[in-house]
Amino acid sequence: MNLLLKLAWRNIWRNKRRSFLTLLAVAFATFAAIGMRGIQLGTYDVNIKNAASMFAGYLQVQQKGYQSNPTMRKAVRYDDNLTETIASQEHIIGFTPRIYADGLISGENSNTSQGTAIFGVNPQSEKKVTTLIDRITEGEFFTLANTDEIVVGYKLLKNLNASIGDTLVLLAQGYDGSTGNLKFRICGSIKTGSPEFDAMGVFIGLDTARDLLYLYGRVHAVVIKLDDMNNLDNVQKSLSMAIHDTSAAVLNWGEVMPDFKQSIEFDNVSGIFMLFILILIVAFGILNTVLMSVTERFNEFGVTLSIGMPQMKLVYLVILETIFITLLGIIAGDLCGYFLNNYIVNNPINLGAEFADMYAEYGFLPVIESSLDINIFLNVSFSVIIISLISVIYPALKVFKLEPLKGIRYT
Amino acid sequence: MAIIRTEKLEKIYQDNGVPVHALKGIDLSIDKGEYTVIAGPSGSGKTTLLNVLGALDNPTKGKVFFEDADLSGKKKSELSDFRLKKLGFIFQAYNLIPVLTALENIEFSMMLLGKSDSERHQKSMALMEELDIAELANKRPNEMSGGQQQRVAVARAIVNNPEIVLADEPTANLDTKTGSNLLDLMEKMNAEKNITFIFSSHDQQVISRAKRLLILKDGLIEKDS
Amino acid sequence: MLSSVIVGVAAILAIDGLNTGMLNQMLDNQISSSVSHLQIHKNGYNDNKIIQSFIPESDKVEYKLQNTKGIAAYSKRVKAFGLVSSAYGSAGIFISGIIPSDEKRVSNISELITEGSYLSGGKNEIIISRKMAEKLNVEVGSKVVLMASTIDGSPGQNLFKVAGIFETYSSTFDKSNIFIGMKDAQDLLEIGPEIYEFAIIADNYEKIEELEAYLASELDGKYEILTYKELLPMLLMQIDLTKESMQILNLIVGLALIFGIINTMLMSVFERIREFGVLMAIGLKSGKIFLMVIYEAFIIGVAGVVAGIILGYGIILPFTYHGFDFSVFAESLKSFGVGAIIYPQISIENTISVALMIPVIAVLGAIYPAYKAVKLQPVYAIRHV
Repeated sequence: MNLLLKLAWRNIWRNKRRSFLTLLAVAFATFAAIGMRGIQLGTYDVNIKNAASMFAGYLQVQQKGYQSNPTMRKAVRYDDNLTETIASQEHIIGFTPRIYADGLISGENSNTSQGTAIFGVNPQSEKKVTTLIDRITEGEFFTLANTDEIVVGYKLLKNLNASIGDTLVLLAQGYDGSTGNLKFRICGSIKTGSPEFDAMGVFIGLDTARDLLYLYGRVHAVVIKLDDMNNLDNVQKSLSMAIHDTSAAVLNWGEVMPDFKQSIEFDNVSGIFMLFILILIVAFGILNTVLMSVTERFNEFGVTLSIGMPQMKLVYLVILETIFITLLGIIAGDLCGYFLNNYIVNNPINLGAEFADMYAEYGFLPVIESSLDINIFLNVSFSVIIISLISVIYPALKVFKLEPLKGIRYT
Repeated sequence: MAIIRTEKLEKIYQDNGVPVHALKGIDLSIDKGEYTVIAGPSGSGKTTLLNVLGALDNPTKGKVFFEDADLSGKKKSELSDFRLKKLGFIFQAYNLIPVLTALENIEFSMMLLGKSDSERHQKSMALMEELDIAELANKRPNEMSGGQQQRVAVARAIVNNPEIVLADEPTANLDTKTGSNLLDLMEKMNAEKNITFIFSSHDQQVISRAKRLLILKDGLIEKDS
Repeated sequence: MLSSVIVGVAAILAIDGLNTGMLNQMLDNQISSSVSHLQIHKNGYNDNKIIQSFIPESDKVEYKLQNTKGIAAYSKRVKAFGLVSSAYGSAGIFISGIIPSDEKRVSNISELITEGSYLSGGKNEIIISRKMAEKLNVEVGSKVVLMASTIDGSPGQNLFKVAGIFETYSSTFDKSNIFIGMKDAQDLLEIGPEIYEFAIIADNYEKIEELEAYLASELDGKYEILTYKELLPMLLMQIDLTKESMQILNLIVGLALIFGIINTMLMSVFERIREFGVLMAIGLKSGKIFLMVIYEAFIIGVAGVVAGIILGYGIILPFTYHGFDFSVFAESLKSFGVGAIIYPQISIENTISVALMIPVIAVLGAIYPAYKAVKLQPVYAIRHV
């Protein structure tokens, strides 16, 4: 074995230029792959965290069936049983209840009315779970769950021609089917970047929402924050089991925002595909190099086989040579990739303000981030090795079939 | 005692779709310790005969016996193993592995056999001293002259005490004096260690120094002295 | 080396095709479901859609449109915000009051009806999306209440019957749009004969700015005329951004190729070192040898591009008819407004940029080997066996 290692290593450096160029090609592909994957995965992470902490939370407890078809009546029972079960779960650092409804909003003075999405929230607990309260851009968020104050999306406010301090009327269809209406005083406006909230959303106190909608003892969602995204699956499972109410379901952010999750998946898949293409291109390069280096040595191989070297050992030799070159390239690529990713992690690239709105519309932040997750390096390196081993099959086959005499006489 | 012998040996090979009847029936017996040269004009089949004797090629018809064991039916891997343990080869060119030093080249077959470091090293160095090439030990082939390379090739061929050394045109790329020195070396090894030498050559020098001369013509032995 | 160029080119074109197709689909879907090529409103309406901002002297505008060349079709719309509710639930929505026969020539909603039928022009008919129907738990034939604020500020409401259910490629559109007859909308809002929007399909949408300019000169500042580009700035920006990232990807692939090219050309040069030496010895100038090597790489580059284009198109072409089924990502694609099936499109622009880039890269890769070919001394080259 030692002999093969020694031979393989020395053989690589017979043609320094060629080996070096092949190594460089592998290194570049590895580097580019790690860079791209790092950016993709890092950016996903940041965006997931952002989306979760902005509104959707890490987990949600809802009535079964609400997510696929959100109607007023599909509200989950919200009692001490539930709150105690949630509070006693490990890794949960906060939770807050929400009530949703669609309604009409009209300014008291103006002749306009708009369709609106109504969110009933408890500001005290909301603070501990999401960054919603911080999104106030004018005025302030109300502090009680029972209040006649209302926070309005900034675009909606403009469309209503209203300002802080004005009165508004909210009209909505309640839990029992009847239409309720209540007067509110605008205390602030909110800017999230997402048109769902900014152009259509209003926030009122949870208890006030109960009165408006005649919805007591139930809510539409309990939004939960965890200490670490990595605990997501565990907590989802154990919370599901702990909750006694069989009509309740525990959903993670992906299930609550399937569009968002799928966009990430879609991008992820296309990223992996690009990676594959890149590595494939390098594979051809490796194939070419190895094939050349093998046919050049047919004379020498012929002699070596004649004096009794077992055929398979010669095949292993060629495979070893390829592995050496590839490994060197991978190591170089990994190092460079590490530096690049590390740099971006510490200096995330902010895309211009013009892009900010566009990204926000889809729920993404206009930043480019990277990731130093070890899996990226492992996956890329592993893929490169596998592909290089596949490319060596053809040359190895040639060596396998080489007869000593044919080798000696080869021109 | 016949160390290698053939019975009605025939070899036909394909040359671009045309069958060539290289050997048409060779009956031959070579004893241990012989110093035989196979000669003949181009196309006579001498290289082919050497290849069959060297277990590099299988006969199309007839048999080859090594110490009374029939080689003809053996598999490629068995022949390869046989060559490693019992035979030595010297070719016209490309004898040495370019990335190994002279010493490493000589140790090569012992490494394949798994012999211990010390045994290999000792045997190789001793042989190099004997052949007066000890100073080349750490040189690579591209740092040696043609003659030096061939001397190292001889060392490599015999270090493992093979039964037979087969040499195919070993002097072809050398000038007369160097060639002569090489032949001195091989005769010495033949005499001292009783290693059988079989040559294939058209070099006059080699032919004139043969102890037994087989002349082939058109695939048959014409003369055997 | 040729094979890696071919694979690289084919891959770039395939991915490009998919991306281009996807983006164009996004744009087309928006245009054909609601935005059209050009819209005319009262000036300021787009930023502030209030009920008072109906189009002044709409019949005069209509007359102008009828006499304008380059307009393939137009339709009139009443638009408002409102609430639709059933016994089961309610939802805030955009109401579009349309004349069904006119609207058919401008938008494709009539073709996207999955149950029931399109508006027939009868009284109090409404069509809603599949998602909306699920939310309200209604079906064709059910009754719903439509509520909106009338022109004087009081809430108006009326009962409508669900005539049909549609499903577009955009889930966001579906979630928030319903259609009723124009007269019904005007009655609901108590606005008499007023309308809010003209939607125009042009003969040649690539010359849309010309049409816009013409209309602007014919109509005065009371009106705003917006092209689909101005109405969908985000989408256009996204399209540009994607085009740029495609270029970056092309570059990365190109760089990956260049190493292989340098290697291959080097090997080919060294293989023929003797010949070069002989050529130089008999008097061929070094400059010519240099160019010869460069030219060879160029030819390989071009050949690779051609073969790659053939392969890439070969892969994409069948799918342009059948489309790629990405149902797995259906929800997400619908939220982009693309639909679960993506029809790749060949982008001539991209093909040209790839076709230019690859030979350039091949030439760049050949510079060092060409230099090496020349730098040899004639004597040295002949000896180098």
